[in-house]
Amino acid sequence: MEKIIEVTHLKRDYSTMRGTFKKYKETIHAVKDISFSVNKGEIFGFLGQNGAGKTTTIKVLTTLLAPTAGSCKVMGYDTFGQEKQIRKRINFIFGGEMGVYRRLSARDNLRYFGNLYLIDKKVQEERIDRILRLVDLTDSADNLAETYSKGMIQRLQIARGLMNDPEILFMDEPTVGLDPLGARMLRDIILKLKSNDKTVFLTTHYLPEAEELCDHLVILKKGEIVASGTPKEIIGDAANLEEAYISLVKDDAK
Amino acid sequence: MSHSVLLSTMILQMKQSFARPMFRFCLIANPILNTVLLYEMFRNSGEKDFASYVILGSGLMAIWGCICFSSAGDINRERFSGTLSLVFAAPAGFPLIILGKILGNTLLSLSSLLISLFTAVIVYRTPLTLASPGYFAIAFIAMIGSFVVISSVLACLLTLSRRTTLYMNCIEIPFILLCGLSFPVDILPRFVQPVSRLLAPTWAVELLRMAVAGVTDPQLFWKNLGIILILSVIEGLFAFWLFQRIDKRVRILASLEVC
Repeated sequence: MEKIIEVTHLKRDYSTMRGTFKKYKETIHAVKDISFSVNKGEIFGFLGQNGAGKTTTIKVLTTLLAPTAGSCKVMGYDTFGQEKQIRKRINFIFGGEMGVYRRLSARDNLRYFGNLYLIDKKVQEERIDRILRLVDLTDSADNLAETYSKGMIQRLQIARGLMNDPEILFMDEPTVGLDPLGARMLRDIILKLKSNDKTVFLTTHYLPEAEELCDHLVILKKGEIVASGTPKEIIGDAANLEEAYISLVKDDAK
Repeated sequence: MSHSVLLSTMILQMKQSFARPMFRFCLIANPILNTVLLYEMFRNSGEKDFASYVILGSGLMAIWGCICFSSAGDINRERFSGTLSLVFAAPAGFPLIILGKILGNTLLSLSSLLISLFTAVIVYRTPLTLASPGYFAIAFIAMIGSFVVISSVLACLLTLSRRTTLYMNCIEIPFILLCGLSFPVDILPRFVQPVSRLLAPTWAVELLRMAVAGVTDPQLFWKNLGIILILSVIEGLFAFWLFQRIDKRVRILASLEVC
């Protein structure tokens, strides 16, 4: 299997200056020396509690953050130093109502991001229609995004993430705000991406979703990996993934 | 491809900016208020050519206000709405996108110059007569260029920091005074004047006033234009260097988003 993402001894700290008169530096170790790899064409689940370091890791992999130590390679390129080769071939979707221009319509948002990804106009128009149908936004495609519900904005974000037909799609809690039908639609999109040999890097708090979709899981606790393997391997003797997960991440867990 | 990135970013920026009440205030109300205030201040000053100071001054102040509040504020808005990281990592390139935003804001803000002119004509019956319209056109283009270049430098620096709103408020008035947008640079303290002379907009504003009054010494006009070009190239190269630097720095400092 071809390794499409390789993370080696990744560390990422955040430093802030504190104090009014006597300044001192406060450092938070968000990610502490983690290593893992992702195979091409797999759905990779990255699980952990809030503050475990999932988003930080995704941001390093999507070239938005520099690692403090260690290295991250995406498609063989270093995420810090060779980002130009990576950016046009990946995309990312962050959860919540962020990442769209609310004073533009869905269609104009997609056209704009299509331009930023240097996609040919003809390809853009064909792709926009197809993606809008896929995320069920065709009827409201020309309404301003500010009139959309939370779920519609999230679907627009998903559409934006698909605009450049990425080889790897990073999704950070993409089902936040989606109703059951929207969440089902997203799961179908993820499976369709997999069938097209695309790689999906997914973080989620919905464990049945992770169990259903992911080929491989990594569980993070306070910036460190506490488990890695297929859902079946992680569940082990537990009743389901949720039970196995809770026993791994609760504070008194070894 | 880059022209469509530039054009679509300019259109997006103009749509976004005009939809905001604060920008509309800077664009429409600000030049009217500035014209009235400057007119009253200059009326008894004995300054011969005060019309050019009132109309040009108030218009330029409004243009700068729009660029400053919008260009700087937009970085913060994009940071809060989560789109800054998207445009930062887009293959089109962050510098090109920022340039599109600045051009969009600058073009839209040029209308405040017309509003100043109309205010002066309607309220005070003081038209702006251009003694050298050809030279004025050249000076006008130089002014736009110098504003775009200085805004690019600012945009780079503001991307690095999350204290954008603070800096945005801090730089507005000093820039107006330093570049002589409303008062001649000569009345500033001597130790400040060298700083003014390092800013391309200072020379562009002087060029505009020269063209309004009538260019009596074409050699001086071209010499000043040359200085604007040299300073703009230096500031442009500085902006380019900064863009290269910030690409790495913002990722080390994690300043693309709100923590």
